[in-house]
Amino acid sequence: MLEVRDLQVAYGAAPALWGVSLDVRDGELLCVVGPNGAGKTTLINTIAGILRARSGRLVFGGHDVTALPPHRFCEAGIAVVPEGRRLFTGMSVLENLELGSYLSPAKAHRKESLAAALALFPALKEKLASPAGELSGGQQQMVAIARALMARPRLLLLDEPSLGLSPLIVRDMFAAIRRINAGGVSVLMVEQNVVMAMEVSTRAYVLEEGRIVAEGAPDELLARPEIQRAYLGV
Amino acid sequence: MSAFTLPSASLLSQSVLSGVFVGALYGLMGLGLSLSWGLLRLINLAHFAFAFLAAYLCYQMTTMHVDPLLTLIAIVPAFFAVGAALHWVMARFSVTPFNSLLLTFGLMGIVEAIIQTIWTADFRKLESSYGEMKFKVGGLFVPIPEFITLLLAVGISLAVWAVLRYTDLGKAMRAAAEDAPIASAFGVNQQRNALLLAGTCAALASIAGVCLALSFTLAPSQMYAWIGVVFAAVMLGGLGRALGPLIAGTLIGVSEAITMAVTAPSWAPIVSFTLLIVILVLRPGKAA
Amino acid sequence: MKRTPIFILGVGVLLAFVPKLGLPAFYDSLLYLMLHWIVLATSWNMLSGYTGYFSFGHGAFFGAGLYTTSTLLARYDWPFLWTLPVAALVAALLGVALGAVVFRVKSVRGELFALLTLAITFVIGTIVVNTPLDGGNGVSLAAVPVPAIGPTPSSTFYLLALAAATLTMLIAWAIFVSKFGAGLFAIHDDEDAAEVMGVPTYRYKLLALAISCALAGVAGGIHALFLSYVTVGEVFTITVPLTVVLMSVLGGTRHWAGPAVGAVAITGLLYSFTAADHAVAGKAMIGVILIAAILFMPDGILLRVQKLFRKRAATPGVTHPPSKPPAQDAARPAVGAAGDVLLQVRGLQKSFKGVRALTGVDVDVRRGEILGLLGPNGSGKSTFINVVTGHFMPTAGQIVFEGRELAGQPAHRIAAAGIARTYQIPRPFAHLSVLDNVALATMFGGAVHDVAAARRQAMTWLEFTGLVEKATARPDDLNLHQRKFLELARALASKPRLVLLDEVLCGLTPSEIDDAVALIRRIRDQGSTIVFVEHVMRAVMALTDRIVVFNHGVLLAEGSATDVMQRPEVMTAYLGSPHKELAHA
Repeated sequence: MLEVRDLQVAYGAAPALWGVSLDVRDGELLCVVGPNGAGKTTLINTIAGILRARSGRLVFGGHDVTALPPHRFCEAGIAVVPEGRRLFTGMSVLENLELGSYLSPAKAHRKESLAAALALFPALKEKLASPAGELSGGQQQMVAIARALMARPRLLLLDEPSLGLSPLIVRDMFAAIRRINAGGVSVLMVEQNVVMAMEVSTRAYVLEEGRIVAEGAPDELLARPEIQRAYLGV
Repeated sequence: MSAFTLPSASLLSQSVLSGVFVGALYGLMGLGLSLSWGLLRLINLAHFAFAFLAAYLCYQMTTMHVDPLLTLIAIVPAFFAVGAALHWVMARFSVTPFNSLLLTFGLMGIVEAIIQTIWTADFRKLESSYGEMKFKVGGLFVPIPEFITLLLAVGISLAVWAVLRYTDLGKAMRAAAEDAPIASAFGVNQQRNALLLAGTCAALASIAGVCLALSFTLAPSQMYAWIGVVFAAVMLGGLGRALGPLIAGTLIGVSEAITMAVTAPSWAPIVSFTLLIVILVLRPGKAA
Repeated sequence: MKRTPIFILGVGVLLAFVPKLGLPAFYDSLLYLMLHWIVLATSWNMLSGYTGYFSFGHGAFFGAGLYTTSTLLARYDWPFLWTLPVAALVAALLGVALGAVVFRVKSVRGELFALLTLAITFVIGTIVVNTPLDGGNGVSLAAVPVPAIGPTPSSTFYLLALAAATLTMLIAWAIFVSKFGAGLFAIHDDEDAAEVMGVPTYRYKLLALAISCALAGVAGGIHALFLSYVTVGEVFTITVPLTVVLMSVLGGTRHWAGPAVGAVAITGLLYSFTAADHAVAGKAMIGVILIAAILFMPDGILLRVQKLFRKRAATPGVTHPPSKPPAQDAARPAVGAAGDVLLQVRGLQKSFKGVRALTGVDVDVRRGEILGLLGPNGSGKSTFINVVTGHFMPTAGQIVFEGRELAGQPAHRIAAAGIARTYQIPRPFAHLSVLDNVALATMFGGAVHDVAAARRQAMTWLEFTGLVEKATARPDDLNLHQRKFLELARALASKPRLVLLDEVLCGLTPSEIDDAVALIRRIRDQGSTIVFVEHVMRAVMALTDRIVVFNHGVLLAEGSATDVMQRPEVMTAYLGSPHKELAHA
């Protein structure tokens, strides 16, 4: 579904990703874990089209999307839940969701998508008219995920969804993500919360200092010394 | 300095009414500026130049016996194109928001010179069939040109408000103003929308210009007198809000009118500036 | 560089002999105008070009001076020359009154300041027109005798303007090369960082504004008599601000002589138009040139020319590195023994619009230690640094440094007290050279007043961090590693006793990390105490004596690195639910 080959991305003079390659298979729930500064957000933002790669290729559903202008990525079928949510805080929850389905194909199904999103996150029903900035962290995260779903993507990108949220909310959210994946949407998630992430995904990569250093099934990776060293230094 | 005189009730109400009318024009003038500043983060001083140029063009066409309101048919699209073109140039040269201020400042000088060359510094007054007409409501006189301005101001502000509030395009613009990269990530083509918006703002300026020509005598130097008060209306009304300039403008217009009735007409510009300073000092976050 | 003021004075004196040439009055007037605009543009540039606070209200101050003089002359029969200092004073007071209010408001930056100052021109004009100052009829000064300084009246004005211009250029140069000027340029590039480095931004802006207005007032005073009949309509318009902006932008706002170059060029150009009766076209010309300048030459003529010369010759003004590096000055002598508590934080809280970033932090930092500050994303580490260094005001709590309470102090005072920091994303002053970036920190954090001495000291810090070859380069020319070391050099240049490093290793390659670790050790060995936020675990293990772990805005654990990182609650905070196998690994 998604092939990333030798991605090199830099912020101005500062290189952030050094030749990253990975695959997301159709219908998969894939995790990329790594400590801070590893380049996880850079990776997500490049796949979402927000950042441009210096070199390398992105092939999505058989099409080379590397050179597409940023606003065409959503059209291609990729939707993102950015780090820190990045909701349009001055606008209402409903408007945020409507913007998720801004493009025509998604717009035609707006009502259904909305109903499905509310079924997934019933707590949002009462909050539709509230300004998005007034919601709690967990609720904002729900809106961010719902917004991405409104775009009816084939690939959903999640950047550190557990950031700043309490464990209970994180658990509910991950359950929702599992349900989304079960509905046929491929998911690529980067996370700092290793254990939780490993519990939901079927396969994982470990990203450290801009490079992929390990790949495999979650339980196998968890036991490996790489993870411990990368995170804890011991 | 004139002493304070308390005017009669009818004089006061007539003053307040004229304050409402001039305030509506402030609002209409400020609308395009507010949208540009709030949604595009560009302060377009040329906005005033566009308004005055439109006013003069309207005047010129009326000397050829065209009804002033009909001139809008030619003027509005022309200025839409000019506004979009200006934005395109600035985007092409990656002009920073601050430098856009300087650039449009220069443009204002150029347009003033053009106006002065073509129409000289003499005062010009537009002659129209309804220029002198007024009707009476209660004990108050309502001049037709000002009334037209009020209708246009309210109507257009409401229309813009509705577009921003209810249409997808309006929501996309608001979203892009808050977080352009994420809006892009959901398919919003901000480059194209920005050109659309820039053109619209210039078109709004041109409409304000025509209204200006309807009610006021024109002279090139007059352009600068409006800057302070219109910016005050824009900042007080909150950037990027469609109804803000109208409401703030009306507030300012009425305050000025009352000041003028109570003291002397020439003290009016102080009012808006003072209001502005007060707001900035008390609620600094509001303007920026 | 002391040659420059002598050169300016010399030119001034030389030009004073021009009236002896007996040229027609036309030339006197032309030269007068050129000098008049030199004063206006250069004085404008002292605030707006140097600090970046573009004022569109120079006409208001010019007009204030003009009307002060005309009132004193017409109504009170003052001798002309005595009105000039008063004109300067009135204009300065007006400027300072506006600045005192407006500079306090943090959001009034850039564009807002420009617009406010534009508006004030018309407000002042209105006040003048409505009061007996002008009354709407203008003020006639035809009856006032022109002092006989030169052989003819027009030459008198020329000489007066020459004196004013010489004075203005001298002041502009003096500010440019002084510590005050360095501070102004820092404000231009990054006001908040400048404040944190010790630049008293509010005071400096007001001072620059006062000087700028005073000189404009003098120009106004002279011009009043030159015109001999003053009206509001001619003075309180957009012409003056537009013209000075153009002249300065064209000539170059970052150089003391830039506006003068622009003034001479534009006046010459304009005069050829007015002479040919195309005054209006002149105004259009100004607009066209301004637009062209913004599009094609935003840095101005002078800097373009300078750049060409810099590529060939070595840059003057930077001393070559000393032949033998002087002995490393230790940090200012430590008061008290190692192990004493240097920084004591109690109950520190910081909320942003309802989000509590710090919910009550208690931590001690001991003299001479390297303390690691760890914690997952969003735990409050960066906020902690920002609050301690004064970038943000704490919501509650105490910060006691060497016995002094620092919470709530403005950032530049905290810097002066001996605390320095680096930024996670380096924030150097983009338009200053690497050397000047460090020299700035020496001057303001380290309280060195002489610019040359500051540059010499800065050089030693560049040696310490290995950046000597890049001394004259711009920060943009450095790679990330070098920029991070520049941040370090700047932090150290103020000789702080406490250095706070915010993710200084982020983005570096493994070998660069090793260099940085060695450097940090040397910094500690020199006598500074270091607190550093870091994620690169092997650096944390290698460097720190002690670490504290933040989580959700409070301290979660404290102790030696190896000990703390194995505690279950810390592992939970980082990884998720406790994993028994990891604890035993």
